[in-house]
Amino acid sequence: MTKILVVAEVKDSEIKKPTLELLSYANSLSLETDAVLIGDGVSGQADVLAGYGAKKVYVADDPSLGLYSTSAYTSVVADAASQSGASQIWLTSSETGKDLTPRIAARLGVGAITDITKLEVNGDNIKASRPAMATKVIQECSFTQGGVRVLSVRGGALDVIPADAASADAVSLSIPEKDLRAAIKEVVSEAGGEIDLNEANIIVSVGRGVKGPEGVDLVKPLAQAIGAGFGASRAVCDAGWMPHSSQVGQTGKVVAPAVYFAIGISGAIQHLAGMSGSKLIVAVNKDPDAPIFKVADYGIVGDLFKVVPILIEEVQKIKG
Amino acid sequence: MNIIVLIKQVVDVELNIRVKDGALVEDGLNYVISSWDEIAIETALQIVESVGDGEVTLVTIGPDQAAEALRKGLAMGAHKAIHVSDAGFDGSDSFAYAKAFAKILGDRDCDLIIAGKQAQDTDAGLTAGMLAEFMDLPQATNVTKLGQIAADKLTLHRGGDNGSEVIELSLPAVLTVNDSLYEARLASLRGIMQAKKKPLETLDLAGSGVDAATVGIAGRQTVIDQLVEPEARQAGQKFEGDEEETTKQVLDLLVNEAKIFA
Repeated sequence: MTKILVVAEVKDSEIKKPTLELLSYANSLSLETDAVLIGDGVSGQADVLAGYGAKKVYVADDPSLGLYSTSAYTSVVADAASQSGASQIWLTSSETGKDLTPRIAARLGVGAITDITKLEVNGDNIKASRPAMATKVIQECSFTQGGVRVLSVRGGALDVIPADAASADAVSLSIPEKDLRAAIKEVVSEAGGEIDLNEANIIVSVGRGVKGPEGVDLVKPLAQAIGAGFGASRAVCDAGWMPHSSQVGQTGKVVAPAVYFAIGISGAIQHLAGMSGSKLIVAVNKDPDAPIFKVADYGIVGDLFKVVPILIEEVQKIKG
Repeated sequence: MNIIVLIKQVVDVELNIRVKDGALVEDGLNYVISSWDEIAIETALQIVESVGDGEVTLVTIGPDQAAEALRKGLAMGAHKAIHVSDAGFDGSDSFAYAKAFAKILGDRDCDLIIAGKQAQDTDAGLTAGMLAEFMDLPQATNVTKLGQIAADKLTLHRGGDNGSEVIELSLPAVLTVNDSLYEARLASLRGIMQAKKKPLETLDLAGSGVDAATVGIAGRQTVIDQLVEPEARQAGQKFEGDEEETTKQVLDLLVNEAKIFA
């Protein structure tokens, strides 16, 4: 029988949006769904998962799980999968999901399909579309053999359907031993307190056109005024003007927000592969032939050093 | 320190790519080492140079022409290469390749296995992690920075969701690398000449020891049924002229048409 196990992700004591998207989608298809919740002090989030449709929530809540560990998280998910008897395991294609997905699939002795942007589920028959070759092609994939279906879905690919309040049927899992072979020492936050690009509804990104750190500082207040995530092209990160954790692109974060502002970004393939799934793209560039204009819904051909201050002023007026 | 680098020759995604009848149009395609795999080779060379001894061995499973990618890696400075080539692998998925690599690498003396974070053609990012699980090795994926390098231990940063995760990894282990880690060196002319004399072992399916039933169509767990072209985004409206005016026009559309601040 078809049963989904959603691997939930938590940040700052909240369930991340891509997890809610997975639960909402399973729920909208009336699929029986469980969830597994892992972390330190996360038990309180089980009710949220139940509200979004998780029938049972398998919880591994322990100080040793506060930081992500491949080995411990793989063991917990495998344990939850076995207890729930799920026929499918759904993850998000976050950095955690990317690390975890192959490991879980291999442990269960099955294949996996990652970074899905369109998912059709008919019982345990899956038809999944996913971009490849820097989003120059879309692969339509399926599973060829029996066994559990392990897959990961890109954030923003599905919609969140608002939930009802519920109280979870929670099951405590045993806590795996610490992995001494890959010891997680700490997490160094490069961009503390800022909006996670994978979560952001709106993203403002800067490219080489900002010319230097001063240009970055000019655009940053626009992101703040809008309440947007603040990203960058590879050129900006390689130059050290912004941390690599801000990089949007095939080799950085792949994002699909409702609105994407590309400020001084020419639109190299590598960058387009990371943001062309955005619902609305606004570009500002002084070169009318910049490739970014081929994907932009609204393109301003002009000097960003003039455009951005006007945008900031007007947005501040609107936001009051 | 003996390091194995898994490399893959892929379609050059910088060039034009067209799809017809569910498959790539071969005409005009160029094949290169997947760019993250070049970083993997660079990383291996840096580690061996830092420790002061050891060998870098490149391994690929791929058609005859994939030997070019191995020669290029040897020219960069890798010491030897293994080319597993057999039509029996055709149609394999990441799962089947990971199983095959586990078999091929299982008996070799190796402290570290390094690969790119994903291959540039599939962007799947599965093979290295599956291999680590099959070989029961610890892993660190999406490595962005190396700290201390010792013969039995690495300290490194991996790009995680909430920042850089600092990991102390005991060897043997599997790493996948992000391209912010290093810039791949270019092969020197001398390197290219030397590469011609470096050992390149070619194995067929039987020679590799991999069970034919575990690879190709029989061994795969997933399949790409077809390729389609992505829906082309329609270029929208372009506004040129005085910035004061164009910016306000666009803002008006954002507020009243797209309702982004609603």
